[in-house]
Order: sequence, then structure tokens, then C-alpha cells
Amino acid sequence: MAVGDRPTKRAGEDAAATAAGAATETKAAASQLAPITTGELTAPIVVPNTLWQAVNPLAYDGGRPAEITHLREFGLTDAGRHDDGRWGGLQVIPTQADNILDLIRANSLWPLLSGLACCAFEMMSAATSKNDMDRWGMFPFRASPRQSDVLIVAGTLTTKMAGPLVRLWEEMPEPKWCVALGDCTVSGGRYKRSYSTVQGIDRVMPVDVYIPGCPPRPEGLIYGMMQLGQLVKDQRGHWPEREIGPTVPDKI
Amino acid sequence: MPTRPVRTNSRPKQRPPEQHRSEDDPRIMLDREVSADLYEPIPPYPTRTEREAEFYTIGDGEMFLNLGPQHPATHGVLRLVLKLSGEQIVDVDPVLGYLHRGVEKICENSDYYHVIDQVDPLEYASALFQEWAAVLAFEKLMDVEVPPRAEYIRVLSAELLRISSHTLFMGFLALDMGGLTPILYSFIERDEIVEMLAALTGARMLFNYFRIGGVNGDLNHEFMSRLGDWMSRAAKQTEANTGLLNENEIFVRRARGVGVMDREMALRFGVTGGNLRASGVPFDVRRAHPYSVYPQLDFNVPTRLEGDSLARYLIRMDEVRESIKIIDQCLNNMPDGPVMAKLPRLLRPHPGRAWGAVEGPRGMLGVYAISDGTDQPFRFRIHDPSFMNLEVVPHLLPGNLLADTMAIVSSLDPIMGGIDK
Repeated sequence: MAVGDRPTKRAGEDAAATAAGAATETKAAASQLAPITTGELTAPIVVPNTLWQAVNPLAYDGGRPAEITHLREFGLTDAGRHDDGRWGGLQVIPTQADNILDLIRANSLWPLLSGLACCAFEMMSAATSKNDMDRWGMFPFRASPRQSDVLIVAGTLTTKMAGPLVRLWEEMPEPKWCVALGDCTVSGGRYKRSYSTVQGIDRVMPVDVYIPGCPPRPEGLIYGMMQLGQLVKDQRGHWPEREIGPTVPDKI
Repeated sequence: MPTRPVRTNSRPKQRPPEQHRSEDDPRIMLDREVSADLYEPIPPYPTRTEREAEFYTIGDGEMFLNLGPQHPATHGVLRLVLKLSGEQIVDVDPVLGYLHRGVEKICENSDYYHVIDQVDPLEYASALFQEWAAVLAFEKLMDVEVPPRAEYIRVLSAELLRISSHTLFMGFLALDMGGLTPILYSFIERDEIVEMLAALTGARMLFNYFRIGGVNGDLNHEFMSRLGDWMSRAAKQTEANTGLLNENEIFVRRARGVGVMDREMALRFGVTGGNLRASGVPFDVRRAHPYSVYPQLDFNVPTRLEGDSLARYLIRMDEVRESIKIIDQCLNNMPDGPVMAKLPRLLRPHPGRAWGAVEGPRGMLGVYAISDGTDQPFRFRIHDPSFMNLEVVPHLLPGNLLADTMAIVSSLDPIMGGIDK
């Protein structure tokens, strides 16, 4: 197999340009071409595997195809996941870049320096001397949403603050994660009956980790951030498919 | 149930057709005249008062700068719209309400026991004082006598929290002016104090410890052991921590002479607490309107005359030393006895009204409670000192440089939970 087995748009255009004189024949030839899908690679790039073959072709989950298909198609299947041992003999690992980058991201989650209310004190306590979040790569609280990975919503979210907070969340570059710190952000908490608060921030933005408590201890935040790191590792390479927007449906 | 269309970040299946733009495309601005009103200031909404119209009318060479509600140095969600001329502040429009949680209304719908829990998150840096104000008003309303041991435990725990709050103030003031180190030392003290209070009350920040007629629990071994350890080094450690800033020339030069508030201005705006005492008025609720066992305790009311940011900082550091003295006396004079008065389970005070005020770390924390004879307060009005202190900001900032904004606002020590309620 090689590139160009199936006719592409560019091949059809070239044929039309060279055979401009014989109009009827080219029209007939063009009508026989396959339908064109713009923007998509119509023929997969196939790279024969000359690097490595398993001794037992049936090993490792029933074996793998003898030739490595196009990397994007390979990435869409689950074949390359959860069995990193099979690639151990290779110098080059064919994988999506996000699979590797997310391993780095999981160990260096930079939160946004954004405190709304009481829980901000416990967040700062988790970052300073006694409970030092820096030990797990979580310290550098960035003051700009452009430079941060995690939004820790620390404190009650009121209806007036919801707009600026969602704007902050949308200003953060992908990939980004959200941690709901405290009862108020998890479900409304003690302000469930209030007229001016948002009953849980998952009504306005997606949440990855919920940390209950009023307020949670700093150890709770550290544990939640470690769980988030595990979540990033577990879902590595798949964050583009995540839903954006609130995770609670309307009228609940 | 209506379903929301699911939006994802994944690549679209088909790229949209390429758009060819020509010169007659109206979306392309070619040599279009940029009208001057693009640069006219637009207020966030139609101006409603003369003051707003005056503020949002921009003069020659002036510009607006929006500070907050998300800003690392605004102590939460304070928003200041600054009108600048060059680097000099001309006018300030503070925008509040980003943390309005409707606490007063919730308190009016709770019974008297639950109110104590609901007022906790107002002054979240020092929650016991807000509880104390509510409890004081309710005790006046119901004519309850508190056992002396409970009063001493209240003073002991509250003064510990005052030290914690003032130590945090020192760290935040330095942080807002660009120094990271003091806050690391502040949080060492704060974490130790809240841990020992957690041994006493069960919570680190929102304690729910005071009760109408006493406190929730007696002193226990872990609290006393931690307190003893901490008291053995508290005075020395306080001197070491204040030395970080007092002997720092950059800090002292930036804070001295900035945001000067004279005593007339402070009295006119109802400023209380350390901010008032830094302006030369020796007003302290513990002395002026004594409550609890403060008349039996020996402490000074530190006062300064300068009224600038440095004086407000130094006043609070003096108060830490006085608080250590008070804690020492509490431990020496702690009486035996019960920690709760005998009260019915359902509290229904006679119709009436009561005002309870305590000296919090930021000033006079007051509660005005009106009873209509039911088990819930008819009206529960909260007077918060941070709100009064913040009212001075539009009068302190103009004339100063932009870089001094945080040196002034932070020295007033506002807590947005109390301001927005």
C-alpha cells in the first residue's frame, strides 16, 4: 500500500488541467472519481513495520497487525493503550503527543491564584510552609489565567461573580481542569437556601474533582490535587473529547 | 427534561468551506476612518446617579483601569475602577457585591441556635468574633448569665484568633507590596493557632463554638498542650516576625506617609479598630463598652498619631503583644465551673431588641437583633467594620500613585465576606 491509491482532489485537478482540450473525456473521467471530502486525508499513510515483531504473534492481547497502520487510526483504537510494556524494546514510540505530554502535565499542575471566600485561606495554607504543595509540583500559583492549568474555585460563587469566573475559565488555555473546593462550590452547601449564590459550580463549568468540607483541610486539597493528577494520567490523550460547559442540565 | 447540546473540543469532522474575502466585503475594514468615539469610555451600564456620571466622564489625558474582582492582591473579590492621569490616581469607584451571600436573610430564617453557625463565614479570617457578637446580642435579648469559665474560654480563644488574624495581615500586606517571605512565616503561626483551636472546637476556620450561655466544650488536654508549647515561644517569634518588616527599608519607605487618614476623617466615616487607633483615637470596644471579663484583665490600647499605612501595620503588631498578655492572664486566672448556662432547648425570647458589639481584629463587630417572640430573629442586622473601613478608600487613594493602591487598601485589612455579607 502507498499514498495515492485512492484518487484525491489534487490528482483530479491535475488531470483536468492537462487534458483541457478533450473536454468530454475528462468530464466523464472526473464523474467517475470518488466523492471528495475536503480537509480529510483520504488515503491512510501506511508505514510497514521493519523495526520490531513479536516472537509470538499471538502474544499481547491477541497480537497486533503485522504492519503499523496510520498513526491516527492506531490512536483511535485501544490497541496501543494500557500495554506500554510491549513497546519497551523500541527507541521510538509511535503514539499521540498528548499521551506523553499528559504524563508531564499530571506532575506539574499549576493552579490559578483565585480565591473567592473562606476556602482561599485553606488553599493558601496548603501552598505555604506547613503543608507544602510544592512537593507535588502544584505550587506556582499563577496570577494570570493564560499561564495556569487548574482552576481551584475556592469559596462561595455568587451570581454576580459567576460571569467573571466563567470568563476566567474560558481564558485559560486547553488543557485545563477544574477543582471545586468546599461545600459551597460542590453543591451550594450552607448557602443552598440563599437567593444570591450558584448552587454548585458545575452549573456553570465542568468540574473534574470535588472536594467537600466547610472548608476542607489543606490535606484535603492536596489529596484532591493528587487525585486530579491521577485523573490526568488515566485520561491521557483524551482531553480534547471532554465536554466543555456545565455538566448539570438545566432546570435542576 | 430539556437536553443541552454537547459541545466538545475535538476536531470537527469537516472543515468549513474556505472563505474568500474581497475588497468589497463589508467585513474588511480598508482605510476606514477610526472614529473618535471608539476611545470614549463606556460605563458598564447607563449611569444612574450624578456621582456615576461624574466618575465615568473622562477628562483630558485620563484613563480607566479596572482592578479586580480577580486580582491577586485585592483580598478576595473587591473590584476597584480607577481613573488615572498618567500614573496618578484621580478617582476611584469601588464595586462591591461579588460575595453577597444573603447571610442576614438566612439568619432571619434560622432559629437562634443556627444563627451562630450561619454568621461564621462573614469574618472568615477570625470567625469567633462574629459568633461572639451574635451570641452577645442574644444573651442580652434573653437575659442569660454566662458562667465565668465560659467567659474566660471565650476571651482565650478569641484572642488567639486575633493574633492569627493580625499575623496573616502582616503577611498579606507584605505580599501585596511584593515581598513573599513574611507570608510563609505568617502561615506557620496561623496554622499552629488554628490547629490548636481545632483541638478545642473541632474546626479550623468556621468554628461554631460559642453558644448562647457559654461555649460548646471545655478545655481539653491537646489544646492546652499545644497552647503551652506555642506560648513558650510566641512572644519571641512575634518579635522575629515583625523584624522581617520593621527592619526592611524598602517596606518602611513604601508604607510611611502613604494613605494618611486624619482623625476627623476616620471619625466621620465610622472607621473603627486598628485603623482608627492608628489615627490617634484611642477607641477600643473592650474599654469603651466593656463586655465579658475584659474589665478584669490588664492590657493597653496602643495608639499612634501618624495615620498612615505604616502606623496601621505597627498598631496591629502592638495588639499582638497585648493579646499575648491577655492570654497569659486568662491562663493564670481561669476559674473552675461549668461552661454552659442552663437553657431550654427551644429558645423563644420575649419581643425586644438588643445590640451586641465586640472588638474584632478589624474593629467593632456589631449585631442588632430584633425578636418578635418566635424562635427566629425578626431582624438580624450585621454591622461589619471592614465595610466602614473600606468606605475611606475612595478618599485615601486619589493623589497617590497606582503602585500605592495595594499598600493602602491592604493596610486597611478588608475581608470581603464581611463587607458583602
